[in-house]
Amino acid sequence: MKPLVVLILALVLLGLRFLRLSRVLWVPVWWLASYVFLVYGIEPPLPRSIILMFMGIITLSLLAYFSVDSQTLSAAWGAIVRFVTDRRYTIPLAMVVVALPAAVGWVAYRNASKAPNPPLFGRTIHPPPPIEITFKGKKINLTEADNPFRALEKSDPDKFRQHVARGRVIYFQNCVFCHGDNLNGEGLFAHGFDPLPANFADPTTIAMLQESYLFWRIAKGGPGLPEESAPWASAMPAWEKFLSEEDIWDVILFLYDYTGYRPRAKESLE
Amino acid sequence: MRTTIKIFLFTVAVSLFYTYVGHMVPQKEFHPPMTIELRADLTPAELAEIGRQIVAGKGTCLTCHTIGADKPGRFPDLGGIGARAAHRKPGYSDVDYLAESLYRPNAYIVPGFAPGMPQVNKPPIGLTDQEILAVIAYLQSLGGTPTVTLKTKLKWAGETATQETAPAPAGGTEGAGGGPQALFTKYLCTTCHKLDAPGKLVGPSLYDVGSRLSKGEIYEAIMDPDATVAPGFPPGIMSATLKANKFYQKVTPAELKAMVDYLASLKGDK
Amino acid sequence: MANCELPAERRRACLGFGLPLAFLLLAASLVLAANGAQEGGAVTKAVEYRHFPVIGSRVAVWIIAQLHLMFGAFVLAVPMFALIIEFIGYKTGDKRYDQLAYEFTRLLSVSFSFTASLGALLTFMLFILYPKVMNYLTQIFSWTFFPYVLLFFLEAVFLYSYYYGWGKFHPVTHLLIGLALNLVGIGIIFIADAWLTFMNTPRGIDQAGHLVNLWEAINNYIWMPINIHRLIANISFGGSIAAAYGAYRFLASSTPEERAHYDWMGYVGNFIAISALLPLPFAGYWLGTEIYAYSQTLGVVLMGGTFSWLFIIQAVLIGNLFLAANYYLWVSMQRIEGAERYYRFIKYLLASITLCFLVWATPHSLVATVQEARAMGGQHHPILGVLGVMSAKNTAVNILILTTYISFLLYRRGNKEPTVSWARTGNLIQFAIFAFAVVFVIFLGVYGYFVEAKVRIRLSVPQVLTVLLTMIVVTLIDVFMFKNARIKGPIRWGEMPARSQYALFFIAITFAWTMGLMGYVRSGMRQHWHVYNVMKDTSPDAYTPTLGFAANVITITVLIFFSFIAVIFWLTGLTSKKSSGAKWEASA
Repeated sequence: MKPLVVLILALVLLGLRFLRLSRVLWVPVWWLASYVFLVYGIEPPLPRSIILMFMGIITLSLLAYFSVDSQTLSAAWGAIVRFVTDRRYTIPLAMVVVALPAAVGWVAYRNASKAPNPPLFGRTIHPPPPIEITFKGKKINLTEADNPFRALEKSDPDKFRQHVARGRVIYFQNCVFCHGDNLNGEGLFAHGFDPLPANFADPTTIAMLQESYLFWRIAKGGPGLPEESAPWASAMPAWEKFLSEEDIWDVILFLYDYTGYRPRAKESLE
Repeated sequence: MRTTIKIFLFTVAVSLFYTYVGHMVPQKEFHPPMTIELRADLTPAELAEIGRQIVAGKGTCLTCHTIGADKPGRFPDLGGIGARAAHRKPGYSDVDYLAESLYRPNAYIVPGFAPGMPQVNKPPIGLTDQEILAVIAYLQSLGGTPTVTLKTKLKWAGETATQETAPAPAGGTEGAGGGPQALFTKYLCTTCHKLDAPGKLVGPSLYDVGSRLSKGEIYEAIMDPDATVAPGFPPGIMSATLKANKFYQKVTPAELKAMVDYLASLKGDK
Repeated sequence: MANCELPAERRRACLGFGLPLAFLLLAASLVLAANGAQEGGAVTKAVEYRHFPVIGSRVAVWIIAQLHLMFGAFVLAVPMFALIIEFIGYKTGDKRYDQLAYEFTRLLSVSFSFTASLGALLTFMLFILYPKVMNYLTQIFSWTFFPYVLLFFLEAVFLYSYYYGWGKFHPVTHLLIGLALNLVGIGIIFIADAWLTFMNTPRGIDQAGHLVNLWEAINNYIWMPINIHRLIANISFGGSIAAAYGAYRFLASSTPEERAHYDWMGYVGNFIAISALLPLPFAGYWLGTEIYAYSQTLGVVLMGGTFSWLFIIQAVLIGNLFLAANYYLWVSMQRIEGAERYYRFIKYLLASITLCFLVWATPHSLVATVQEARAMGGQHHPILGVLGVMSAKNTAVNILILTTYISFLLYRRGNKEPTVSWARTGNLIQFAIFAFAVVFVIFLGVYGYFVEAKVRIRLSVPQVLTVLLTMIVVTLIDVFMFKNARIKGPIRWGEMPARSQYALFFIAITFAWTMGLMGYVRSGMRQHWHVYNVMKDTSPDAYTPTLGFAANVITITVLIFFSFIAVIFWLTGLTSKKSSGAKWEASA
């Protein structure tokens, strides 16, 4: 929820109370307030289908409220009759007569001119890795493999820094175009892709994965995604064709180093 | 008359409103599962591909299981099951374990989950033995390499209910074909007892029961399993199982006699 | 009780209209029994399915079965509350009740004939279009057909003697006939339920599908839950149709007396409908539990898989029912002098109903476009995800029921002023009980998020009990508190705006539509099985259609039903032209 929107809505409603609004006018006010709240007051925004359904229910109950009291109803009816028949209102009436079809036309235009939407697939974001991959003819067991340079962090910090620096160079030569210079998935080409390039700064990506998992994803890329990640629309190249094993481990070191996350520890199977 | 017309229009309007609601929700048709034709010479990888379709379709596995989700749903997540299967139960290879989980789903329950999975070779799912092999191949491929082919023999194969269409009209003599051995399969005795060799499963082997027990004792052991329990075996399991299978309601006196006679003839020396 | 001054010819004509149709049904049953008997000797490959032109076999049988069910529900329900109303009239000596009961009963005779003919049509259609299934079911249930036919006979006898004997017997004898009529009716529905619940959760058969135990086949997992659920829902549905009849006559009436009378009739019908609606969700809950107990797969198909969106439609329907029921009560308060005191509460009650409605209709899995899903970070919305689960929905339903009950309480108090000395304390206690119930129900709902699924499912029981207990205790306090209450003014029956009567129609249509929807899911959840796990549907109609298609069929069925009902109202109106309205005496 967005507190600011809620606060403004509450203030407006409270302010209207002091204006001694007629009961008839409260109904559209509440309707608008509910709409504004549902559309702008909730974070992340609700899907349109839900807003439509909720507004339908709210419309129904406001109609019920509106018509429950005979006096309110006749007052509203009287107001409408006056608006339509009274000479004083000719100009506003003409405006409404023009505005109503125009509004309908606008909605129809907007619906028709929407960019086509791809169908939505339920897609597994982090598919389980295979046990073993073949990297340039060499078998690598992913459940056992570990970053060979991770140990240097403690044993030889200088050497470790060198590897990280190498990783940085590799990153900025290869990865930055999509994953961005802040490693947040906001690279130059990022917005052309669906799924979006991974955002390494997000705590739900590399922070909860093992280094060997990253190795697999970098080496095999989008084409190497398993069945359950279909459709394979991921644009990630299979980097095994361009990088050496050491390159990949180095760049992984850099990813963790830059973002400050720690790789997920190895755990025994169950 | 005017009221009648008004009421009629009102009825139509309200019904149409609900029809509209019915059209607003996702529209999906569900077709009955097709029986998939399996060629005998399929490679494990091809078999796994067919298994994937069965898992998503006819097998209805994904109603309860997830594949590679962050949080498992009703039943355990199957991501990487190919890697875990071999370690789940001591003495069980991954194929054994997977086969048991499909034919006898409640024999082993993953810690933290409740039992409730149906036997997939029985209706309503009713997969054939071949289809189950395909499913096993697919499950192996999740985190491992499929090894089974259609030639792989599973322990439980053959007990699949073969009646696909209408049940035969009443009056047919039951248990006429197959002799007494078929009865032991029919009532699932062979799940827990070996008939042809020594060695225990869940219950003691019956290959020599004719030399150990008299006919009367065999009779008692079937009808009241807890009256005398073979040393080294826990009481209660057999009576509970038979009750759950509705054995006592289904078995006819003639069948019972045939079974006892057959058991009494097993002396262990052949 | 001189209202039954029907000319003897017409009475005989009515009888002559209804009974042959009962015979028709008997004949149909015999055909069906004979068909089953033949089966043993048949060698040739029998026809499994036949095709119904244009709309197809499934839709044809679907519509006829649903119509039969709706009329059956009405015919079985009306005697139940007619009997109760007659009994109230007998006990209090208030002639109005007796007249009202008679008026309800008058709707029956034509409806009974309609039900019987639709039943016969359904039987014929099933045997012609689905011979394979019907042969199988005949094998299983052959012996239940005879008591069914017998009961149907008795139903006809009791119904007509109850109707035509009005005022001719000793009141107690007449009440006993009414009781017998109801018992027979319940017997009929129980037998018919056995057939169809067996198709959902078969029992008492061996693996090959042969009958082993007839009683088990009858008493299958969901037989009793369906019986109870249907009985309650029938009363609700029957009440709403009777209320619609009152509304129709109200709108068509020309004199204030008539208007007063039919206003009251509509009110009573609606009262019955809503009283029966309140326990209905609980009965439905029991039914759901039994389905899960029979087969988890079936339960998941129903609630989580294929049909999960159907229950969103149901939520919209039931939410509308509650909204309309409350609306009717609020509008009704205008004809009560003194009820103005309570107007200011309406908006809060409405807010509560709207919120509960919103929660109940929140789907668990959302329909979102790619951009929306991206913005939400997946298919689950962090806030809606919380509202879309069982805990929240149970809580919403319970609060919805409590709110409706409060609306009724305010309506009841409308023109009354308590004279007892402890009125203030009593009010406070009632308020405290309500507050506690609401807080406790919400607490249990929220608590449900923090415990395992196993515990969570059990939490709904204390929720339901709290609500039921609250309603009972508060009613008791209210009854004593308003004993000898000072009446501020009369209830001005008949002074109702037309829109309140349309609310009654709305309720009746919504009920009919809900029945159509629930009838569909009861049958549809078997998916591609005729008899679940036993006999596969191999016809071209074996697939499960989209919900939109189902909605179309339901709407057509509902419209046909109401056309028939219009005919019945018209026929009933003909017979009562002479006498109605004259007996009305303004209430105190």
